[in-house]
Amino acid sequence: EGAAFHYGFNSSYLQKVVSYWRNQFDWRKQVEVLNKYPHFQTTIEGIDIHFIHVKPSYVPHGRAVQPLLMVHGWPGSFYEFYKIIPLLTKPAGDDVVFEVICPSIPGYGFSEAPHQKGFDTIAAARIFHKLMNRLGFKEYYLQGGDWGSRITANMAQMLPQSVKGLHLNLIFLGQQGLRRMISVMLGAYVPWLVGLTREDVRRMYPFLQKNFYDLLRESGYLHIQATKPDTAGCGLNDSPVGLAAYILEKFSTWTDKSFLHKDDGGLESKYSLDELLTNVMIYWVTSSIVSSMRFYKENLSKDPGLTADARARVHVPTGIAAFPQEIVHTPRVWAKETFKNIVTYSYMPRGGHFAAFEEPKLLAEDIVRFVRKVEQL
Amino acid sequence: CPSLAGIMLLEVFLVLGTIVIYFLFSKKKEETLPFEEGWWGKGQKPDAEEDTTIWPFKVETTEEELSDLFRRLDQARFTEPLESSCFNYGTNTVYLRKVVSYWKNQFNWKKQVEILNKYPQFKTKIQGIDIHFVHVKPPCLPEGQSAKPLLMVHGWPGSFYEFYKIIPLLTDPASHGLSAEHIFEVICPSIPGYGFSEAPHKKDFNSVSAASIFYELMLRLGFNEFYAQGGDWGWLICTNLAQIAPSHVKGLHLNLASVTNMGFIHLLSILLGRHLPRLFGFQDEDVRRMFPFLEKGLYRILLESGYAHIQATKPDTVGCGLNDSPVGLAAYILEKFSTWTDLEFRNLEDGGLERKFNLDDLLTNIMIYWVSGCIVSSMRFYKENVQKGIGTQKHERLTVQVPTGIASFPNEIMHTPQAWAQKKYTNIVSFHFMPRGGHFAALEEPELLAEDILQFVGKVEKEQLWRKK
Repeated sequence: EGAAFHYGFNSSYLQKVVSYWRNQFDWRKQVEVLNKYPHFQTTIEGIDIHFIHVKPSYVPHGRAVQPLLMVHGWPGSFYEFYKIIPLLTKPAGDDVVFEVICPSIPGYGFSEAPHQKGFDTIAAARIFHKLMNRLGFKEYYLQGGDWGSRITANMAQMLPQSVKGLHLNLIFLGQQGLRRMISVMLGAYVPWLVGLTREDVRRMYPFLQKNFYDLLRESGYLHIQATKPDTAGCGLNDSPVGLAAYILEKFSTWTDKSFLHKDDGGLESKYSLDELLTNVMIYWVTSSIVSSMRFYKENLSKDPGLTADARARVHVPTGIAAFPQEIVHTPRVWAKETFKNIVTYSYMPRGGHFAAFEEPKLLAEDIVRFVRKVEQL
Repeated sequence: CPSLAGIMLLEVFLVLGTIVIYFLFSKKKEETLPFEEGWWGKGQKPDAEEDTTIWPFKVETTEEELSDLFRRLDQARFTEPLESSCFNYGTNTVYLRKVVSYWKNQFNWKKQVEILNKYPQFKTKIQGIDIHFVHVKPPCLPEGQSAKPLLMVHGWPGSFYEFYKIIPLLTDPASHGLSAEHIFEVICPSIPGYGFSEAPHKKDFNSVSAASIFYELMLRLGFNEFYAQGGDWGWLICTNLAQIAPSHVKGLHLNLASVTNMGFIHLLSILLGRHLPRLFGFQDEDVRRMFPFLEKGLYRILLESGYAHIQATKPDTVGCGLNDSPVGLAAYILEKFSTWTDLEFRNLEDGGLERKFNLDDLLTNIMIYWVSGCIVSSMRFYKENVQKGIGTQKHERLTVQVPTGIASFPNEIMHTPQAWAQKKYTNIVSFHFMPRGGHFAALEEPELLAEDILQFVGKVEKEQLWRKK
């Protein structure tokens, strides 16, 4: 009684979602929606890679089209980009225009899952480079959040000459380190001394509450997926209701932390049930929940300080869009330790983890702003 | 080199910090935990006096229940495991399919229900919810001897069924080759939210709440003095019981004894214990089981505690699918019976399950979770116990003065040496390194556990007699 979303997905609200799913949700119609962009598959390193490739319908004479690879995360999919794609492939005024490629990470959605152990973000990065190469691109832009952020960052570290620019809405920072802890402690009192801005302070403090306890409270899924993915995913691949509860809980809490207090998790205030269920259906019909979870184990089992990408820096022009309701806020001064060439860093006015899904216009504007700056350089 | 200086600075901070905390909390009070009556029923507590009748209970099943289960088993969707991953990524579905096939074709739930019903079961309402328990009296008592009441509490993902093999050894030791000096009548309740006990409807039902309910149960059954035995959550509940009512608990026997508030001394003993074991009270066997600490302590805990982390934060989410997919539920629960029995089982393709248990017992335990639909409420117990932080609760700081016996099994996930345990359990009467066995001691090694309980009770009784003279 009185639990709202504090114990996880509220089952009273879940029943409403399931009833909608059963009676009003039209999967066949959603499949048509999914098919409105051209899909393709190609075999790379032994597995079939799925992607959508959207070209602008009209390009004004003489305007260059920038190739943009956008990579999703967990528990998302290529579908998260469906609202932002039109904003990027439509030239407006003097702006840049893109042709967008959104692949599915191997093990997610319609991309085949790896059959061997050890498939991590570096492997995914390599495969996506090969994909872009196969499509005929020598230089391209990258955009990513969640796992997409780490994969695209790896891509920039791997082949900087092919990456014109890297835009991220989430920063994965390798090591916390003692210096970080000290700057956190000092930052509460003299933020300017450790390079934190007032907005950084507002978003990060009280540090213990916001970061440490919040992270602990929200990272149970990460812990179990990074250790026992096959166990965690088994029931979810078998129970659509369980799958929906698990996935939609993230769409609630990671969009706005205050949604924990709502009986309905605030889901329908930012998304439509059709969109949310379409994403869940992608996991369901492809039976990809277990393989999607294995990605956590493959990436997080090793000592984070020892991986190849831990100390490699990113030197390509980087743009960062910091959304206020992102799970953890990364100030520019910390991002600079890894990203040596930050061209734009924007404090976004609203939005959470699923930026492309929730605030496509804001994200598109920031991407365009970033690319415009890079093109002028 | 800056990072070395940084590490030293960190260590100084840590040491200073823990010294401060240690002195603040080192005064371990000898007070008892207050007995608080809660109300866990639906809605508001009624004004009328609570109904204290105890009525008999039998497990039942219907054709409908079975055909629903079979339909779900038939429609189960499995994901192929990665090549050569055995049980390292969790329950291996190649083996799981064999289990499911057995479940559908050979497992006989109706027969298992009869087995469950062979011990008398009852229910009674306490603090607003129906509490289920098994109550087994000795079949025959020799002249002049009385049966000692023994409360045995299970844990997660177990149930009262875990005790079915050990009960006869305790109620009728003579027939099983054990000394008949002490004979018990055994009471095995189901923790509220587990099995056939009603789940609490209000938030904050933790181990102290469960202990207070079981205390009322024992009093209602007419026992003024009794023994308590537990492992997993049962360890904590029985410990709390001994803290609430030390005058009623004659002895506390545990097969798990965790220490939740670590202090400066613990940290020091981890850092130096391998080289100076005697200084910290470690025996050779302690050192063998605990070190190297990073590998056997920290990493092991990290690797195996994902379930606890998610259950302690989002129980309703993680339990949802498990209450809907019997295969998912089986995978989740069986993984624990494999890994917590022997960590090496992770490297076996079949998880080593059938080496120590038989499928009928394992599936019966799972069926209890399935037919009662209790997986979600069982998981909420983690959140209720952990959400305020580990090491911060009042009961964690209080000691236990009741005579305590600890059976330390080698394959328990983390080993607690006597040196640590005795800071909390100030009256340890027996502490034994068991030769074999893991977390589910009662089910896996009932004879070993029964022998240890018997020798423990023997010591306590002798001590009592000596005191009376």
